[in-house]
Amino acid sequence: MANYYDLDDIIMEDELVSVVFQVGANGVGLLDPGAETNHIQQGAKVELPFWLSQELQLRQAASINLPACFNQKTRKEVQADVAYVNLKNRCPYFYEFGCKVAPLVGDRTIGPFLLYAFKGRYKEVLSKAHSAAFSVAPKFLPLLTKEETHLYDAAQSSMTAYKKWRVGGPRFERASILKKRKSNG
Amino acid sequence: MAGQSDPHLSIFSAAEVEFLAEDELVEIIPNMSMDSLNFICGDFGPFFPHIPTEVPMWLAMALKKRGKCAIRPPNWMSLENLTQVLEAERDSRREFQPLPFHYVEISRLLFDHARDDIPDVHMVRTLVEDIRDVRFHKVESGFETIGSRTHAVKLKNLSAMEVNIVRPFFVRALQAFYKHDSPQMIPRPDTASTRTNIGDLPRRDLRPR
Repeated sequence: MANYYDLDDIIMEDELVSVVFQVGANGVGLLDPGAETNHIQQGAKVELPFWLSQELQLRQAASINLPACFNQKTRKEVQADVAYVNLKNRCPYFYEFGCKVAPLVGDRTIGPFLLYAFKGRYKEVLSKAHSAAFSVAPKFLPLLTKEETHLYDAAQSSMTAYKKWRVGGPRFERASILKKRKSNG
Repeated sequence: MAGQSDPHLSIFSAAEVEFLAEDELVEIIPNMSMDSLNFICGDFGPFFPHIPTEVPMWLAMALKKRGKCAIRPPNWMSLENLTQVLEAERDSRREFQPLPFHYVEISRLLFDHARDDIPDVHMVRTLVEDIRDVRFHKVESGFETIGSRTHAVKLKNLSAMEVNIVRPFFVRALQAFYKHDSPQMIPRPDTASTRTNIGDLPRRDLRPR
C-alpha cells in the first residue's frame, strides 16, 4: 500500500458508505444502530466506514452502494456551477474517495466526472490564491476539498513569499540561537 | 537540488533565487585600481579607474556599497528595449519575450543598490513591474489550457522567479491531473463498447472548456 502512512488517506477511509449485506451475519449488531437483535439480516442496508465495506465487498459479504456524493443529484449540481459547488460538505476527500470507490461500485463514469470537476475548479483556486486579499479567502475556502485546499495553500504561500521578498526588509536575520547566547552572556 | 530554508518543501525561497542570480555577470566601472581577484568561480580584474570590467553581481554590489565603482546597467534594461518588450508581451497571448533568466532578481538588486547608475530609474522600474505583471497574468491564463493528456507543459522564456512562484501549485495540479486522467479512471474509447448503458453523465459535458 503506497499511502500506508498518509494521514489523509487514513481519514478518508473513515468516510461512511452504505452497504447491503449479501449474507446474514451473527454477532455484529453493533454495526447497525437500528438493530434490535445482535444479528444483521441478509439484504439489510447499513452505513459502514469505507475501510470495512471494502473488505466485506472483497469477501462478497456485502455490496457497496454508490455514495451520495457521486449520485445524479450531485452531478447535476456540479455540472451547473462547477467552480462554486461546495464539495467539502459533500465529502472532504472528494477526489481520493472517488478514485477508491469507483472500481468497487463498478461505475465507470465516476472517473470522468472527477476529472471534469477538478478541471473546472483548479483555475479558480489559482486565481483566487494569487489575487486574494484576505477578505476573499473565508468565503471561498470552505467550498474546497482537502486536496484543493492544499493547492490553494501552495499557490498562496509562494505568492506571499514573493511579495514579501519584493517589498524587501532586513536582508540578514540573526539566528535565534545567537540572540539567546548574547543576552545570556 | 532543493532550497535550504525549508527542508520539507522542495522549492527555493525567493531569497535563494536571488542568491543564485548574484552569480550573473555585470559590467562595472571602477574608480580605484586593484589587482585581479582570483576566486573559485573565476578570475576578475585587474581593476583600473574608468576601465570597464565584468564581475559577478555580488562583487559589484559589495564594491558599490563601498563606493568603489559605478555599475553599468545591462543592455536589456534600457528604456527603449523595455518599452518594446512590454508591447510585445501585451501583443502576443501565448509567447513570452526573451528576457534574462534572472531579470526579476537583477532588476531588484540594481534598484535597491545602484539607483543612481540607472538612467530614468523611475520609468525603468515601472516598466519592469508592468512587464512582470503582464507575464504573471499570462502564466495564470495559460494554465487554462492544461487538461486531458497533459503530462508536461512547456513555458518558453519563463524566468527563474516566475517559475519558482508557480511551481508548488503547478506540481500538485499536474499530479492531480495525472491521477484522475489515468487509464484506470478514464476508460479508453476502444473499451467504451462495453458500457453502452451508462447514461449517467452525458459525454458532451466532458468536452474541454
